[in-house]
Amino acid sequence: MRGWAGNILDINLTDGAIDVLPLDHEMARLFLGGRGLGARLLWDLVGPEVEPLSPENVLIFTTGPITASASQTSNRFNVSTKSPLTDTILHANSGGWWGMQFKRTGYDALIVRGRAEKPTLIEITAEGVSLQDATHLWGKTVFETTEALGQDRNKRNVLCIGPAGENLVRIAAIMNDKERSLARGGAGAVMGSKNLKAIVVEGTQKNQPADKEQFKFMLYETGKLLKASPLTSQALPEFGTAVVMNVVNEIGALPTRNFQQSQFEGADQISGETITDTILETNQACWACPITCTRITKTSSGKEGEGPEFESAWAFGAQCGIDDLDAITEANYLCNDLGLDTISMGNTIGCAMELAEKRLLHSDLRFGRADLLPGLISDTAYRQGLGNDLAEGSFRMAAKYGAPELSMTVKKLEMPAYDPRGMQGQGLVYATGNRGACHETGNMLGPEVLALPRLIDRFATQGKAGIVSVHQNSAAVIDSLVYCKFANMAVAEEFFARTLTAVTGETFTADDLMMVGERVWTLERLYNLREGFTKADDTLPDRLLNEPVAEGPSKGFTAQIPPMLEEYYAFRGWDKNGVPREKKLKELSLQFAIEVAE
Amino acid sequence: MIDQRLYEEFRDIGRDIFVTGMTSSHGGNMSVRVGDKIIIKRRGAQLGRLKPTDFVETSFEEKDSGIIRASTELIVHRAIYEKTSALAVVHAHPRTAIVLSLSRDEIIPIDNEGSYLLRKIPVVTVELASGSKEMATKVSEALQGYKVIMQRGHGCFAIGQTLEEAYAWVSALEEVSDIILEHKLLGEEMIEYRKHSESYAKW
Repeated sequence: MRGWAGNILDINLTDGAIDVLPLDHEMARLFLGGRGLGARLLWDLVGPEVEPLSPENVLIFTTGPITASASQTSNRFNVSTKSPLTDTILHANSGGWWGMQFKRTGYDALIVRGRAEKPTLIEITAEGVSLQDATHLWGKTVFETTEALGQDRNKRNVLCIGPAGENLVRIAAIMNDKERSLARGGAGAVMGSKNLKAIVVEGTQKNQPADKEQFKFMLYETGKLLKASPLTSQALPEFGTAVVMNVVNEIGALPTRNFQQSQFEGADQISGETITDTILETNQACWACPITCTRITKTSSGKEGEGPEFESAWAFGAQCGIDDLDAITEANYLCNDLGLDTISMGNTIGCAMELAEKRLLHSDLRFGRADLLPGLISDTAYRQGLGNDLAEGSFRMAAKYGAPELSMTVKKLEMPAYDPRGMQGQGLVYATGNRGACHETGNMLGPEVLALPRLIDRFATQGKAGIVSVHQNSAAVIDSLVYCKFANMAVAEEFFARTLTAVTGETFTADDLMMVGERVWTLERLYNLREGFTKADDTLPDRLLNEPVAEGPSKGFTAQIPPMLEEYYAFRGWDKNGVPREKKLKELSLQFAIEVAE
Repeated sequence: MIDQRLYEEFRDIGRDIFVTGMTSSHGGNMSVRVGDKIIIKRRGAQLGRLKPTDFVETSFEEKDSGIIRASTELIVHRAIYEKTSALAVVHAHPRTAIVLSLSRDEIIPIDNEGSYLLRKIPVVTVELASGSKEMATKVSEALQGYKVIMQRGHGCFAIGQTLEEAYAWVSALEEVSDIILEHKLLGEEMIEYRKHSESYAKW
């Protein structure tokens, strides 16, 4: 194959039908793969009448044209579906090996429809595609399932759900290669609703570049950039993603105790530096990645596993007022084994802690209670006791206890580890996120904190909407190729365009890619509008809009969403209600969605 | 219309461009995109002495009265914003780069930093010096694949997410050009130290 394999595997679990559909090449050029292709296929397959946990919803696993090409970080893949947590369009992506291996089976995408009568697994190998009884695996954890199905790093790779997905927990993840995750938005519950326990892949095909000389040159040039960047060559390998914990805390943007403060006194104890000094065994890389940010750790009680990443360390740490690194790390391991999104889990527990402290929830839960984490996480996965409320996610839980305003969510997705009051652009990213409050869809950490590509004023609002839009478009195209966002912190889109050109033999410029990103972002917006979302959903929790930060470097600031939102809609060519104009749809070749436009 | 933070960025970068000799007293211009508007230096304002009143806000696409006072190159800036993902545009007249553009179709850096940052700067030919449709089309299309480009015998256009980023490309271009010129004046054979250096011409 040269970029695209040209095939989509289509499996209906209800009747066991297995089909192979041709990949429309024009669609591939317009949406590339990954998140973009997933959104395009989902638009046709899942309309507003479909309940996320019904058999009519679909799971679409997609790779991109550079996947498995051996270009740096070309290991990632995507899943698209309608989210049972947010009811929005959902995309989630993951690294490791599974995506590369799936591509090698000769498919660009896998559509899973319907619902199997009993627990089922899909196996895709060079010999063919089969549906197998997985009753013996139902109830097993992710680690048990992955081992039972014969995970073999570069040859045979396992993707599965744990008990959380089986029990339709709305914050359940799909896990691959044991501890990598398609985490956000509850795709694990969709997989559970289909009685699909696992997908095992063994591939033999290769994604070979059309222009080998140019591809080699791009490998060389990209490698130079990754080596030259202190972030990708030193900080991430040595300290992992939690290298930013102290940095974000120092500027007063680390949400603490359910976003009641923006600095955590225990930040250093849960930072990348402390992880390296205390629990780190070694670092590891996904396939074809020189960055090696994965943490292989061992706690003082002798437990071993992957993590914690920055977001997980924050979610069980600052968000819950906990500075016990062992407890945080073991909470991370447990989420991996049970198949849970660590951000949503930690954020939701933090919300429950505030509910309990305000006597709205009758529980001995309090900020700082690290001892309660294992029980809460396990109860969530199995929907026991308070865990049954936590399993619904922060918004539904807080609403049940009469205080939805204490849920730190956008469109019901739990916020990650940046306080929008200290990073105005990040606030706009959260407010306008198509899958809800998500930092991965336009992270402003680069320009607002790390000076990548240039430092901008994190408190400024004028002109911020354009930068946010460009970052959102960029994230959308990287998720469609599919590359890793960390690579993009050192490598600009023009490099990805030239590598894509070398792999496919078809010319792409940086601006071609940015237009793909805008197209994908706009289609996701249209999907959500078709679902009934409106401008009113492009906002932040009241706390962030109206309660100024009390202390620290962000003291006195609130999130200034309304003026930025007006500028944002104008920049994107949308009307004042956030509806893309017909002209914009034509520019982006999205005429098929014109029914939703103004 | 222009807030204090943005004004200070215009003022500081304008002054830097002038004092580093990359434009004459009244040459060069800059703009940023804000929402569906463009904020651009007014025609005739001195780049090195910008005041808060030296800016014009005009529509991204449609014509309005703002164009009366806007920089002559507004048409080029609009085309760039339309065809690229730029959020800021800097136009300057870096002298050594202009000299090189008179005899070359592309400027390929020979120094390590310049190779790393720019790899290649294409040169486009436009008959009229400024403000023409031909110029708007050629410049904006060239910037779809590059952060900074040269218009033969005139000057450069650079793009970025911020004015500072665009200015950084202009500054790097002039340094690259100075090194090429001085190496040529020295007249000695270059000892190649980069792998794949022949591929920069294809960048």
